[in-house]
Order: sequence, then structure tokens, then C-alpha cells
Amino acid sequence: MLPNPATVESVAEAMNMAEIKGRSLWADARQRFLHNKAAVVSLIILALVGAFALFGGLLAQYENDFVDFTLIGSNAYKGVPSLETSHYFGTDNSGRDLFARTVQGTGISLMVGIVGALVAVVVGTLYGATAGYFGGRVDGVMMRIVDVLMSIPFMFVLILMLVIFGRSIFMLFLGIGLISWLDMARIARGQTLTIKNKEFVEVAHATGVHPVKIILRHIVPNLLGIVIVYATLLVPNMIIFESFISFLGLGVQEPATSLGALINEGSSTMQYGYYWQIAFPLFFFVVTIFAFFFVGDGLRDALDPKDR
Amino acid sequence: MPLLEIDNLRVSFTTADSDVNAVNGVSFGIDKGETLAIVGESGSGKSQTAFAIMGLLARNGHATGAARFDGQDLLSISKRDLNKIRSREIAMIFQDPMTSLNPYLRISDQMAEVLMLHKGMSKRDAINESAHMLDAVRIPDARARISMFPHEFSGGMRQRIMIAMALLCQPRLLIADEPTTALDVTVQAQIMQVLSDIRSNFGTAVILITHDLGVVAGFCDRTLVMYGGQIMEEGPTDNLFANPSHPYTSGLLRAVPRLDRDDAKLATIAGEPPDMSRLPAGCPFSPRCAQVLDNCRAERPLLETDGTRRRACHLPVHEVA
Amino acid sequence: MFSFVARRLAVAIPTLLILIVVSFVLMYAAPGGPFNSERPLPPAVLANIEAKYGLDQPFWKQIVNYVASVVTQFDFGPSFQYKDRSVNDVIAQGFPVTLTYGFWSFVVAVTIGVSLGVAAAIKHNTWLDYLAVGISIGAQVLPNFVMAPILLLIFTLWLGWLPGGGWNGGQWPYLIMPVIALSTSYMASIARITRSSMLEVLNANFIRTARAKGLPMRRVIWKHAMKPAMLPVLSYLGPAFVGMITGSVIIDVFFSTGGIGQFFVNSAFNRDYSVIMGITILVGALTIFFNLVVDILYAWIDPKIRY
Repeated sequence: MLPNPATVESVAEAMNMAEIKGRSLWADARQRFLHNKAAVVSLIILALVGAFALFGGLLAQYENDFVDFTLIGSNAYKGVPSLETSHYFGTDNSGRDLFARTVQGTGISLMVGIVGALVAVVVGTLYGATAGYFGGRVDGVMMRIVDVLMSIPFMFVLILMLVIFGRSIFMLFLGIGLISWLDMARIARGQTLTIKNKEFVEVAHATGVHPVKIILRHIVPNLLGIVIVYATLLVPNMIIFESFISFLGLGVQEPATSLGALINEGSSTMQYGYYWQIAFPLFFFVVTIFAFFFVGDGLRDALDPKDR
Repeated sequence: MPLLEIDNLRVSFTTADSDVNAVNGVSFGIDKGETLAIVGESGSGKSQTAFAIMGLLARNGHATGAARFDGQDLLSISKRDLNKIRSREIAMIFQDPMTSLNPYLRISDQMAEVLMLHKGMSKRDAINESAHMLDAVRIPDARARISMFPHEFSGGMRQRIMIAMALLCQPRLLIADEPTTALDVTVQAQIMQVLSDIRSNFGTAVILITHDLGVVAGFCDRTLVMYGGQIMEEGPTDNLFANPSHPYTSGLLRAVPRLDRDDAKLATIAGEPPDMSRLPAGCPFSPRCAQVLDNCRAERPLLETDGTRRRACHLPVHEVA
Repeated sequence: MFSFVARRLAVAIPTLLILIVVSFVLMYAAPGGPFNSERPLPPAVLANIEAKYGLDQPFWKQIVNYVASVVTQFDFGPSFQYKDRSVNDVIAQGFPVTLTYGFWSFVVAVTIGVSLGVAAAIKHNTWLDYLAVGISIGAQVLPNFVMAPILLLIFTLWLGWLPGGGWNGGQWPYLIMPVIALSTSYMASIARITRSSMLEVLNANFIRTARAKGLPMRRVIWKHAMKPAMLPVLSYLGPAFVGMITGSVIIDVFFSTGGIGQFFVNSAFNRDYSVIMGITILVGALTIFFNLVVDILYAWIDPKIRY
């Protein structure tokens, strides 16, 4: 049965309206975000941290795996941060340039965070949108699976996997990817439940558009706002997660490093007074996490003003 | 001396953008056992007037003036003293019965605590008394249903429970803030019947806040019309409905659908309700008034008394259409 | 109520079985057996050892035996690295330690977090509110592995007030830093959740009704606002529990407290599969049990989802 042409017309009109409204909604959101000083400052800081991770290597005077044997044993006075020796952040306990290592560690931590969030966005959104769109028993089973997975202490399973299959960045990404999408799936499902009753989805359904197409064309784009907000808040959590594993020495392997691994190394030498070894990695860690949280909060306030 | 006397009440809210003046110098009184209607559209300040009397303004709200009850100014007495008057002397029921009861507590707990607090009753006695009161508002099988949770009752039943709860201490004044707005028409009539029974049985004075003139007509002795946080007109209900002396009142009356006349079109009042943060200097109704005069926009008309009637309008009475 | 618990159990028990089977399969799929070391053992010796641990039997038989002994006798089998110890011995040694400081961390996080959140909500937009918000934002960037070195630096290296590690039967000087390090970020999250949900509840219509009854504010908050305001906190307790039990790994490593986390990490480096599996399953069972308790509490508070 074909839908009544008049209905289609009025719905098309409604969709146009929605589009116009939608555009101004994004413009409004940008306006609100730019008014949030903490969020804007954080965004600038994030850009600086990103630039540090990408281009900091050009400033470093040493390779990150170059061991300066002359320093071993006399780290306390020769390895201190100094412009003269070009060890801007000093050296680590093996005489490696901490500046180069912090650049690399920041880069890897950012990468882990962003990749983890991307996995969450792709898998979680599709999973949640599918569950929410089909509803009923499909929804029940799919969300029950999420519940079950959520009640498993994943860190332990991940460490078990890292031990069994060997430690590698790939395993780390796999492990983080396995966990990160669960919350996103729940959020996406909840949002889909409200979207699917909107006219444009009902019309698409009534005119026999394939469900896969409805989900990809009509539902997922409308989830974008909340997905972006949540992904921004997920990045720092993923960074913390990776740092946790690296802190235990089970994450990124030498000579590669991450902020968590550097904090771990620094914390083991601070009793000798080598504070710079923990201070610089910790600084970048804290600043990055802070900035992501503030940007995420700013985005949430901007995109969902009623929730302030 | 009136039971409750409001004198030059003003309520304002501090917001990020500006101050919103919801009530701007309102004065009126209500006698023992009397029924007073406060009528106006949403945003006219009628509900905020009631909240100010009960000390229930939102956190950013502030009230000045006086609200004298038994010689005590409710706006300036201590919280402790106010708590002794709330529910015991003045009780209030609210617009939305669906959300006004605590969904996490049994009806018995919510009702009994009033009696335990104000009358020092034991819990057992308080629950017994509460069940009696539920009978009085005609909730069937009250004894058994009193231990249920709010979500197990319909909207109309919940409003009856609210009324019963408000009357537990037999207060001298009941403020009903749009008690029927959220309910079906048939249920509205039942609730009004309950209120009217209560009034005759207990001799409680009632302030009925509503935008529904149909509800007022059969129920209230006196009616007070508010707009833009000010009183437009006041008088005995029958008299006021028969001879409105303010363009706003006559506009409101024309907007009520009537079965006895065969008008094809229902009159409406053109324009939007006022922006309470930027009221005009003169009469707040002047931007929408069909009979506006030159000085209406610049000069605020005073509330003048004429026998049993009060009105605030520059237009001479006989010219009001 | 009974059927509600039964339905929750119907999900919880299979979850636990899945966890046991998955960890067993993972271990079975591991490249190289647990006894492959740098110095290869003579084949005859290897066969002997594998027979002793039942590794020569077919896969299905191994898994059935393992699941059966875990479920019926709570026996996780022998350690693969220490001949004189079973996994149960390891758990018996480490678990009480983890439980002690874990319990205190949980108590601290919940009591301080909730009080701070409620106080901030009641005193909305005062210095107390700003302080609480500040603390909870600051603590977001202080996960346990950051808190631990900072505490150690301040209280042991600079001030010299507290011992830098060890357990010593759980005497309080040894307990303080582990508890603070483990609880801070969860305390902050609980404070934030409590504050926002309390603010929302205080704006609810039924709170206005309660105030109109003449109840003093303290009673309005305790009797009318507390229950609904605690619901979001309650749903956070499940994830918080998982986070804390995971964080115990850091605490054990950093403060040498000797809880199961320490054994877990040591075993991870020694490839002592049976210990890793045993601890993973134990922690999983605890988590599932805890979530069950939270679900029941939730249903108890919220009459609308009753059974």
C-alpha cells in the first residue's frame, strides 16, 4: 500500500523544517560552545598537546631509544632538565632523553584514546541503533548481552589475554575495543527509541525502505550529537585505561612507551629525588585528561542545553 | 479582620539574564469560610502569589510586602513558625497530581506523617485518621488502598488523595492551585464536587487558582482577575461575570465557549502573554487591549474601589465593551 | 520479590559459567604450554608434569573437570609455578587483604561522596557547592595509579608520616594510603552524581508537597528526597565496584600490600595460568554477585519496577 500523497508531502515539509531547524541547532550549539570559556581553552590546549605529540619529535635532540651510557649512575646531577644538554625534560633512569620519550608517550596515549573511542562510536552506535530500531525480542536479547558483558571485570580478562597472546599494541587495541562500545551501545539504543517514532522514520518504513538503509540513513545521522559528546568523554577514559595497563608493565612494550608507562617509571625513581621523571609525564597526562573532560562537558552543554 | 490579608505583595526571580517580576504589588483579603477565585492566563502571577504565601517560591525567587495570617506576617516569620502554619492552618494542593505525591513512599506514610508532625499522633492512629479522610473524599476501599503506592492510582484518585492529605489537620484555609487542569473533564467535575463538599462540611476557606472561568462560576463567592502580575479587577463572582468592568475580563468571558449561544466563532484575545522581565510602563494589558487609550501605555491605572468591586482601568466603566 | 531474584539469578549464573569457559578456552588456546621455558624440559619429564596437572587429557574432559571442581568444590586447582601451593592457597592468602582495604575504600567513597554531594546540593551555589564541584572535577584526573605515587611522595618521602608499603596485618597506618588512593576518584564521581540527582529531586513537585506539609527541611531531605536521589548513585555502584577491584591490582603492586592483585600481576609475568584464571573467575563471581545485590536494592527502593 502506498502512503497517501498528502501525508508524504506534509512529512517532506516537516523534514525540511527539521532540516532548517537542525542547521540552526548546530549553529546554536557552536555559539553555546564558544561561550563556554573552559571548553574553548581546553580545546586550544588539546590542539597544543596534539601538536606536541605530532611535531615535538622535530625539536628533540635525541632519538627516543638512544641510551646515553655516560649518564648512568650520575643521573641525579647530569640528567636534570636543562637547555644546555638539550635534554629539555632531563633523562630517564637509563639515560634516555625524556623529552623524546614524553613526545612518543603522549602520541601513543592519544592514539589509544582516539582509536578506542572510534571503535566505540562505530560498533556501539550500530549495535545500539540496531537493537533500538528492531525493538522487541531482538532488543531484549541484544541488550541482555551488553548487560552480561558489562558485569565481567574486563581488565582481568584483558590482562589474561595479554599474557596468553603476548603483549602488543594490537592486543591492547583489541582489548580496549572489546570494552569501550558497551556504554555507547546503551546510549545509542535509548536515543534510537525516541527517534524511531519520528515521522521521517515511519514514512521510510511505510514505503518499504530496507531496515539497514533506514538505520544508516535516518537513524545514525540523528544520533550524531550524543555520539560526539560521549566519544569525547570516552577518549580520556580510554587513555586512563591504557595507562593503567602500561603502569603495570603489561601495555606498550619498550622501547615504545606511553604516559602510563612513563608515570610508572617516574614513580619508581622519585624516592631518589628525580622528580622530573614523574613530573613531565604526569603533567601531560593530567592536562590531556582535564582538557578532554572539559571539551566533552562543553559539547554536552552545547548540544543538550536542557541538561545543564 | 480578614483571615488572610495580602498587602502589596511583589515576587521577583533573579535569572542570569535579568530580573523577572512575576507579581507586582498585589493586595487582597479572604474571610473565614469564604471562597475566592484568582483567575488569569498562564504567567499572570496567580500561582506565584500562592507559592509566596506558602513560602514555596523557587530558590531564586524573592517576595516582599506582607501576607498577614492571624496577625503573623508569613513572609517574615521564621521557618520554624511557618512550618507550624503550613498544613495545620493553611494547606495547599497542586496542579499536577501525577507528580505531586512522592512515588517512593506509601500513601499511608505520606498522609500519616502530617498528623504525626502536627498533632503528635501515634503512627497507628494517624493511619486510621488518614483512612477516614480518604473515605471523606470518596476513595473506595480506603482502608486497604491506603498502603498502596501513588502509581497504583489514577490521576483523579491522586488528586483526591492530595485533597484528603491537605485537609488532615482541618486547616482554616485551603489554597488549590489549578486542581483540575491536568484532569479529564468528567474527573474535573468530580474533584470540584469533592472540594465543594469539603467546604460545606469543614467550613474551610478556599482560594481557587484557575484559568478556567467555567469552574469559577458555580463555586466561588468572589473573583479576582490577574494579568501581568497585577490585579485587573475584583468583585462578587455573579456580579463580575454579569457586568465585567475591565476589557481583559470581558475578553476572557467572550473566550469561554458557550452552549446556549450559536456563535460560529469563539472570540480570542489577540497578542501574546506579556514578557514578565519587560513589562510596559503603563497598564500591562495595554499592548493587547482593544479599547486602549492614550494614557494607558504611559500611566499605570490605580486599583480603585467602588462598593464591592475593585478595578484598575483608565476606561470609564460604562464604555467597557 | 522471589521471582525477581530468580530471574536475576537466571542471568547471573550463565554469565559466570560463560566467564569460566571463556577463560579456560583462552588458556587452552595459548601458544606454548605453561611449562615452556627458556630451558626446554626433556619430553619425558614434560609428559609427566602434564599428566600430573591433567593437561594430557582431551580438551572437553579438561574443561568439564575444571568447571566441575570450581563449581562444586570451589577448587581452582594447583598453581603451575609453585608446586607447593594451590590456587586456593593463593586466594586464601591474598583475598582477605584485598577485601579489607577494598571494604574501607568502598565505605569511604560512598559515605564521603554521598555526604559531599548532598551538602553541595542543599547549599547550591555557595562556597561549599563550589568546593565539592572543584574536588570532584579535580579527582577525575587522579585515578589510583596517579594518586598512589602522589600520596607516597607527600606522606612518606616528604612528611615521613606513613609507611611506604607493606600490610602488617592491616594496621591503620598501612591502610590509610591504599584506601585514599583507591577511593578518591570514585568518591568524586559519587559526589558528582549525588549532587546532580539531589538537585533534580529537590526541584520535583513532590518535594514541594512535602514542604507544604510543614516538614522541617532536614526531614524533607531524609524522608522524601534521599531515596530517589540515591537511585542513580546505586546504579553507579556496580561499575564503581568493578573499578575498585581492578584498581586493587595497582594498590597491591604499588604499596606491596600482598592482596590478590599482587599475585595476579606476578602470575601474569610468570605465565601462571591457573592462578590468573582462578583470580579472574573469583573477581567475576564477586562482581556478578554485587550487581545482583544492587539490582535487588534498586527494586526495593523503586516501587514502580517491583517484580
